[in-house]
Amino acid sequence: MIWEVFRQEEQGEYHTHCGNVHAPDREMAKQFAAIQHGRRKPTNNLWVVPKTEIGELDGDEYAFGGATDKSYRWATGYDVTADDASEVVESSGEQEDAKERRNEVV
Amino acid sequence: MHIETVKDRAGPREFSPTDDLPEKYREAATRMIEFHANSEIMGAYLERPFIRQAPSIDRKLAFSAKVQDEIGHGQLLYRAAESLGVKTRKEMLDDLANGDGKFLNCFHYPMEGWPETAMIAFFVDGAAMRRQATLRRTSWEPYAHAMDKVCFEEGFHVKHGEDILATLMSGSRKEQQKTQEAFETWWPRIIQFFGPTDDQSKHHDFAADVGLKQKSNDELRTAFLNQYIPKAQQYGLEIPDEPRIRKNDEGDYEVVEDDLDWAEFFTIAKNEYEPGVGQIEGRNAAQEAVEWVRETIDGTDVPSGGQTPQAAD
Repeated sequence: MIWEVFRQEEQGEYHTHCGNVHAPDREMAKQFAAIQHGRRKPTNNLWVVPKTEIGELDGDEYAFGGATDKSYRWATGYDVTADDASEVVESSGEQEDAKERRNEVV
Repeated sequence: MHIETVKDRAGPREFSPTDDLPEKYREAATRMIEFHANSEIMGAYLERPFIRQAPSIDRKLAFSAKVQDEIGHGQLLYRAAESLGVKTRKEMLDDLANGDGKFLNCFHYPMEGWPETAMIAFFVDGAAMRRQATLRRTSWEPYAHAMDKVCFEEGFHVKHGEDILATLMSGSRKEQQKTQEAFETWWPRIIQFFGPTDDQSKHHDFAADVGLKQKSNDELRTAFLNQYIPKAQQYGLEIPDEPRIRKNDEGDYEVVEDDLDWAEFFTIAKNEYEPGVGQIEGRNAAQEAVEWVRETIDGTDVPSGGQTPQAAD
């Protein structure tokens, strides 16, 4: 049975997928994950998930972000707010970054 | 974990569901996140009619996207609250429907016309974002993670709100007048968004000691006023004479608290303010009207191969 492994490097961060292990049950999967994925890289916490429980959706079969122009739902679509509200500027920056990376993928 | 250990360790994103946390921490965090989640939902219901009343197709699209976002934020936050193990998502939603769930003061007031959308979408969302940005460093990890996504999306809401304000304030004289009137109605409520001053705040000390709350009411209110008073003036809004706002020795804006209607604020906090009761009942009625949709979904067989979803999902 295949178990997908997610590692959180430090407390407070996100668990990110780092590989998988072959194991007959959850306990063994946890042990193997600790040995294979928690030994060298910094690790605070590991998740193991049975591969069969994972639902998958691929960009080839699904239009992520929709198929129409949705510029109205991006901060970058509005030409207001200069450098006065730092948290709004930060959010806009994150959105700009996400948009750029999305366009690179497409 | 002992409460003193929690206080010692308290820091950004310090505690997660794997930690054995004392009841007092769990309850305080639940109260705070549930309030936040409820506010997202009630805010969405308040703005929903303006999808229909939007003056252009662009505004209509933006408002429907925004309302959708806010409901999504509510869902994220109920998950973060539920992970504390004090209340289930269903209990929180039921409490909101039956009038026991608490939410933001501003969302107890009905909205009458389009110029008021700028008050919610720019000033209230701006205030909310100021607060939410600090909560990315809260000690409950699932809450901080929810805030990452909320803050990412919220930038669009505030800028859209500012865009509405900019349009209204460069429109006809009547539009400008209506917007000024809306501003005068909403301004004191918006200042009260941050709650009573620190010395009057009931829950602050503990929430701050365990790292749930990162900034005090006073710090947030001051930061908001410093940013948004110049903004309002830049668009030609006149700041009302009351509540009196003065600059202190450090150059920060300060409100004369006695000029605000705290009796109304605390009536609202108890969910006893008449128009607010209407908002709660309105949402409850909308919920009941679409009960058949939930029933249809619940009645659908779960496809084989998947786990049976948790009752709360």
